[in-house]
Formats: sequence, structure tokens, C-alpha cells
Amino acid sequence: MSFHCTTCADDGTPMRVLRIRHDLALCEDDQGDHHTVEIALVDVEPGDAVLVHAGVALVAL
Amino acid sequence: MRFVDEFRDAELGRALAGEILAAVDPGRHYKIMEVCGGHTHSIYKYGVDDLLPDNVELVHGPGCPVCVIPMGRVDDGIAIAHQPGVIFTCFGDMMRVPGSETTLLDAKAAGADVRMVYSPLDALRLARAHPDREVVFFAIGFETTAPSTALTLKRAKAEGLTNFSCMCSHVTIVPPVRALLESPDLRLDGFIGPGHVSTVVGARPFEFIPATYGKPVVIAGFEPLDVLQAVHMILAQLREGRCEVENEYKRVVPYEGNQRALEVMAEVFELRPHFEWRGLGFISHSGLKLSAAYADFDAERRFSVPGIRVADPKACQCGEVLKGVIKPYECKVFGTACTPERPIGTCMVSSEGACAAYYNFGRVREVV
Repeated sequence: MSFHCTTCADDGTPMRVLRIRHDLALCEDDQGDHHTVEIALVDVEPGDAVLVHAGVALVAL
Repeated sequence: MRFVDEFRDAELGRALAGEILAAVDPGRHYKIMEVCGGHTHSIYKYGVDDLLPDNVELVHGPGCPVCVIPMGRVDDGIAIAHQPGVIFTCFGDMMRVPGSETTLLDAKAAGADVRMVYSPLDALRLARAHPDREVVFFAIGFETTAPSTALTLKRAKAEGLTNFSCMCSHVTIVPPVRALLESPDLRLDGFIGPGHVSTVVGARPFEFIPATYGKPVVIAGFEPLDVLQAVHMILAQLREGRCEVENEYKRVVPYEGNQRALEVMAEVFELRPHFEWRGLGFISHSGLKLSAAYADFDAERRFSVPGIRVADPKACQCGEVLKGVIKPYECKVFGTACTPERPIGTCMVSSEGACAAYYNFGRVREVV
């Protein structure tokens, strides 16, 4: 996970989408940790990479 | 890892530094402001400034949302946290920000139920799990964080949750940059634009900087090579007499931003007429509050808060640091009375704060 302060605009963690259910996705970061991520703001499929900030995917990479 | 390793390549960094050295006019002093605290952190973590020529100075801007929260609002948060039945949630760094007398961490030690969350959605989960308690989220952050608060509130409304509310202290990035550009005590040659704020707002909101103030802007990522490349691009604009918004961070930032995020923000928030920034004073239309449709979720309406404006501590020079007028080590209390363990000013609290970055990465050599 990123060491940055969560709040800061710069805290974006690239993650890989594993599974999707409605607006939530199970994502994996580069450490292999899993996170539940809100994906209402992006169009993604399993396998895509997203940039996650404060539990929300802001952009598909 | 892709998107990371290739942007930390030491050899490429040295080559880029060589190109920058060749590009500068030795008779000129360049002042470039990185708006975002994340850039400040990267610059000192990776020693980017050591790779730059002496006449290229990086000035640290106001882009740390923790650092710009005034003491009065921390006091308001603490007052809500002490109300019976309240679970007060906030991001980790916010817990150590000093109010006029105590911090949220002190409030927790004194018995208030203050909990750290990584996302407002975590706070919403707490509200679902504790229907008998009032869960309040202290929402801070720029446009990167605001969409996640907005989505959370939309979800709370859709679910009809009545025990969730939000103390909205979100801020926007453009008004403080404009205030800095209007400030007479600061002469800047260009800006390294915020990377992840721009994923939401896009590059267009920064076009006024070259258009009105004649300064180049390069939106940049947060790896060391991103920052070096941004400096290189700004210097190239200055040398060639160009002045525009360029996007170094194209692998992440679309020029138009994220329209869906902007729409959800427009639904949930509206601009405050003015908002107080620590060290910068009141700036018009720079803060967000909940829109009329979401007023029921406004913690400041639900609970009584002191709402008293508290002047910044006299010894603390966070304001000058946030404006880039002084370097952190030039502050009278830097590293003595004010340290990351016992911060006086907010710039020492967050890892993105300029003072904490200087302190943690040993940038104090100029005074020893």
C-alpha cells in the first residue's frame, strides 16, 4: 500500500480488478492485498487496472 | 511494478538531470512551485532537489488538505466527537492536528469515540453496523477525495440512513492557487500541477494560469522521474517563450478529467461563499458544503458546534511556508518546539506537509 497520507490528493494506489459486484469491485494492490473498491465513477472489467483513492477508483489505467 | 519502477530509474534520472542542467540559463534564478503536498513528499523522499541546478528552486505550495485546516474547525470536530452517542470518524493524519487546546487523539484518550478510517465508505459501514449511534465523518481533502465523500452520501441517502452525517471541510485547488498568484510577496516562474486532483477536474481549470498570469503549468505524476520531467518541461516552455498547460501525467490524467465524478460532486456539494485556510486566511469560493438536497446529512446542522475562529499560534509560520515565502527550517520553532511527534503547526503533522518532509528527510543542513 502507499505510504502517503490518505487524504492528500496524491494518494493514488494502482490496483488490479479481480471481481465485480454492482458498483463494488474486489481489487488487488501490488503487495497482493485485497481491497473493496467503489467503481461507480469508472467503466472497468475484471483484469483492468484502476487508480484508487480513499476507497474509490478515480480512473481506469 | 508497472507505472512505478520505470519512473524510479536512477540512470534515466541522472540523464534527465543533465538535460535540465544544459537547459537552464545560468544567469537566471528559477522558482517553481509544486502545488501538491504529494510532490513535496516525493521531492524530499527521493532527493529530487539534489539533482537540480542551484538556480532552480522548488517552492512548496498549499496542496496538503490536512495542513490547511484551521484550528477552529478542529475544535468544532472535537466538540462533535464529545457529544454522547457519537462515533467520530476521520482520516488518520487529521487525528493529530492541533486544535486550540487539544487534538482528536486527545479527545479519544479522554473517552470520546474517535475512529480512524481509510475511506468515507468505512464510516458508512460503521453507521450501518451501529444503528443506535450517530456516526460522523470529518470530510477533508481536495477534489480527489471529494468524489468519495459524495458517493458515500449518495449511498447513505439511497439507503435512508439517518444516523450518518458529514462535517464537510472539502476544499478546491484553484482558488488558493489564484490567491497565491495575486500575492505580492511571491514571484514564481511556473507550477507543477497536482496529478490526482487533475484525474477528477482535468487540466482545463488550470488554463487561467498561463492565460491570465503568464506562467507555465505542467501536471505531473508523483514518481521522481515525473517531477524531474515536469521541471524539464517548465524550463523548456520558459526557454522557448511558450506558456501553456501541459500534461506530463497522461498515463493517468485525462485532459477533461472524470465527468462522472464532477457530476456526483455537483449533486452533493455546493460552494461556500468563503472558507478559512490555515495561514492563507479566508478565500472566496474555495470550500465545499453539502447542497440543499443533502442538508440532512450536514453534521454542523445536526450538532451544535462552537464555530469560533481561532488565530494560528504566533510562533508557527505555517502560513509563510504554505505560501512558499519561507523554507520550513527558517521557521523559529522548526525541529525544536515543533516536531512530527509534537506538532504546533499542521505542516508538521501530515507526511505531505512541507515541514514534516524536511524534518523526516533531513533537510535541515542549511541551519547546521
